[in-house]
Amino acid sequence: MKNKLLVLLLVLTVFSLTACGGNTTGTPATGDNASSNVDASGKSNAPKTVKITYFNTSAEVNTMFENMFKRYNELYPNVIIELIPTGIGEGQQEKLQSLYASGNAPTFMNVDPANVIEYQDHLLEFTEENAPWLSLATDGAVDGGTFGGKVLGAPWSVQGYGLLYNKRVVDEIFGKGNFDPTSIKTRDALKEFFEKCEAAGVPATMLHGANWSLGGHYLTLVYAVQGPKTSDGTGFIDKIKSGEINIEDSPIFQGYMDTFDLLAKYNYNKADPLVGDFSRDVQAFGEGKCATYFMGDWLWTTMVTLENVDQEYGFIPVPWSNDPNAYGNSEVVMVLPKFQCINKSQNTPEQQQAALEALRWMLTEPEGQQFFLDAGFYMPYKNVRDDITYNSMTTSISEYAQRGKTINLGCFSYISGDAWTETGNLMLKYLSGAITRDELAKGINNYWRSVNR
Amino acid sequence: MSKKSKLLGNIGNFAVFAGPSVITFTCVLLVPLIYGVYLTFTNYSPIRITYDFVGFSNFKSVFTDKEFWQQFVKTLGYVFYSTVFCNLLAFLLAYLLTGNIKARDFLRAGFFTPNLIGGIVLGYIWKFIFANVVTKLGDILGYQPLMTSFLTHPDRAIVAMIIVTVWQYAGYLMIIYIAGFVGIPQDVQEASEIDGATGLRKLYSITIPLMVPSFIICFFIMISRGFMTYDLNLALTNGQPYGSTRLAAMHIYQKAFQANEYGIGQAEAIIFFITVAVAAVSQVLLTKRFEVEA
Repeated sequence: MKNKLLVLLLVLTVFSLTACGGNTTGTPATGDNASSNVDASGKSNAPKTVKITYFNTSAEVNTMFENMFKRYNELYPNVIIELIPTGIGEGQQEKLQSLYASGNAPTFMNVDPANVIEYQDHLLEFTEENAPWLSLATDGAVDGGTFGGKVLGAPWSVQGYGLLYNKRVVDEIFGKGNFDPTSIKTRDALKEFFEKCEAAGVPATMLHGANWSLGGHYLTLVYAVQGPKTSDGTGFIDKIKSGEINIEDSPIFQGYMDTFDLLAKYNYNKADPLVGDFSRDVQAFGEGKCATYFMGDWLWTTMVTLENVDQEYGFIPVPWSNDPNAYGNSEVVMVLPKFQCINKSQNTPEQQQAALEALRWMLTEPEGQQFFLDAGFYMPYKNVRDDITYNSMTTSISEYAQRGKTINLGCFSYISGDAWTETGNLMLKYLSGAITRDELAKGINNYWRSVNR
Repeated sequence: MSKKSKLLGNIGNFAVFAGPSVITFTCVLLVPLIYGVYLTFTNYSPIRITYDFVGFSNFKSVFTDKEFWQQFVKTLGYVFYSTVFCNLLAFLLAYLLTGNIKARDFLRAGFFTPNLIGGIVLGYIWKFIFANVVTKLGDILGYQPLMTSFLTHPDRAIVAMIIVTVWQYAGYLMIIYIAGFVGIPQDVQEASEIDGATGLRKLYSITIPLMVPSFIICFFIMISRGFMTYDLNLALTNGQPYGSTRLAAMHIYQKAFQANEYGIGQAEAIIFFITVAVAAVSQVLLTKRFEVEA
């Protein structure tokens, strides 16, 4: 009898221990993953500790956000922000969906505009009342985060991409100061440039063998260059979806694919183009093993962590035809790639308020802005200190912006979550020669016409 | 002691000992399974705030999802080859390491170590090896097929996955086979030697029939683990090159979480579950017939 009692006691102890550990999981409807320490503070006039979570898809700067939140907690000890980091290009969509599905939606997050559209029913609208500081953003920046007439995303960085070139390597090939990036306005000019590099013994360019680079960045040029307005790009995609046109009918598509063939011909990774090892490619480009790299200015955040790499870079456009006046031939892409959004469906009003406060500090307080500026981001806010010098990549993009030579990538926001994986996989197949251009076009058409796009 | 209190006593015993496990099993496996089956008949997705019934349309869509069936066949091939090769290798290793050779225990431990490394770490290590070490080897030897990474061609990528799986589990199965070898009674072996059986004949007629339980266990382990491979798939290839090595589990995951088609993903998962259950159970039932008593 005594033994049975002992065993029962042990079992109950085990039960209570397992019940104590771990946080609440909450349910979608009630939003119960509230501040777990609300009762722990005891006194009624002490500020309640609020714990909020932040989901970050800009994987290159996870550490920047960590440091930022640590500092924020020092200034406001009753707010604890927990970072949910992700890896570069890996499983970000899935992680976000599983967080929402399990009732653990992050309080606020840094995501692609496509996600803002997907989750719009779950997001808090930024209004004059709850976010007056948003008026400090430059014109057009807030438009990027406006969907269906509501401001759902707060902008925080402007990025650009095109053909990055290594200034030191190019100077060695052409002689110091002889190369003028604005001279590349046609595919023939680009071809000449490449051939000069090859003749000097330097591989002319590098393509990163990843679906997000080729599908998300390269292929999107085809949609964006249809016209300077966002609706030109989305209208083009809608026409493909409805079957009115096929993508191969567009001369812009054919033009970009011809240029792609050119890039693939002089690809530094030509022997094995699909390896897609990001750190290896960045290292090679930084050491000057090739002259150009199809990538964007976010590369700087990775480049700055490496040793013995070159510091000066610039951008040249990716031309799609031989008409120097055509839209897209002398422009680089400038885009608001990510937005800050706050969730309203799975948390409490206190948490939402804490998130709003945190965003205000991050985006418009000089100390908060400094974190972004140190990492090299270009913030579209009017009160950013003007004595800052950006890294060479971002400076190059802002130069194009000042001359008005940028491609509007607004249509990118309306492309669904798995577009760059699926069409990117097709581009990878085309790059490795497994399919022809016709099959690539057919695959892209089928993707847009399949269910749920 | 009346019958009723004895029954209660028994139930009490059961509850105390097996209670926690049964409760955990129900909460973590049974309830999600039943809820999942229920959700296949709706168009639920975490992005939607409400959802409605759609009947069998999700199952109908599964049958038109060509990619799922292609990947399913690939998974079958992967499971078949990895099971066969892994068991062969493990059996060979066990046979060699059952005699009295020097450093036997050290070798046993050494062969078992790959199993201790988790799937994700293993995948990254081998990814590096295939992309850099094997290609370097190819350059040195001047052997063309090795000069490009295994992981950039669809067929060779599956071969790479089989290689890594075999490497990972050979040690684990070897331990089971060693236990099986050691369990064969000495007198039967000596009797066969007296009757003039050579090494190979002894292996075929005595050792293997008495080892059938070990075979059952090992085949079952490899088949069920093989079908459910996800961590190695993610770390080693992540479906690359261009989605061709997305084995069934990864395809389901992609369908549900990336393409946002939860209903279809769940329906595929159920079909997959039924297949794996049928395969594993029928394997056990079929091979049980070969069991013999010493």
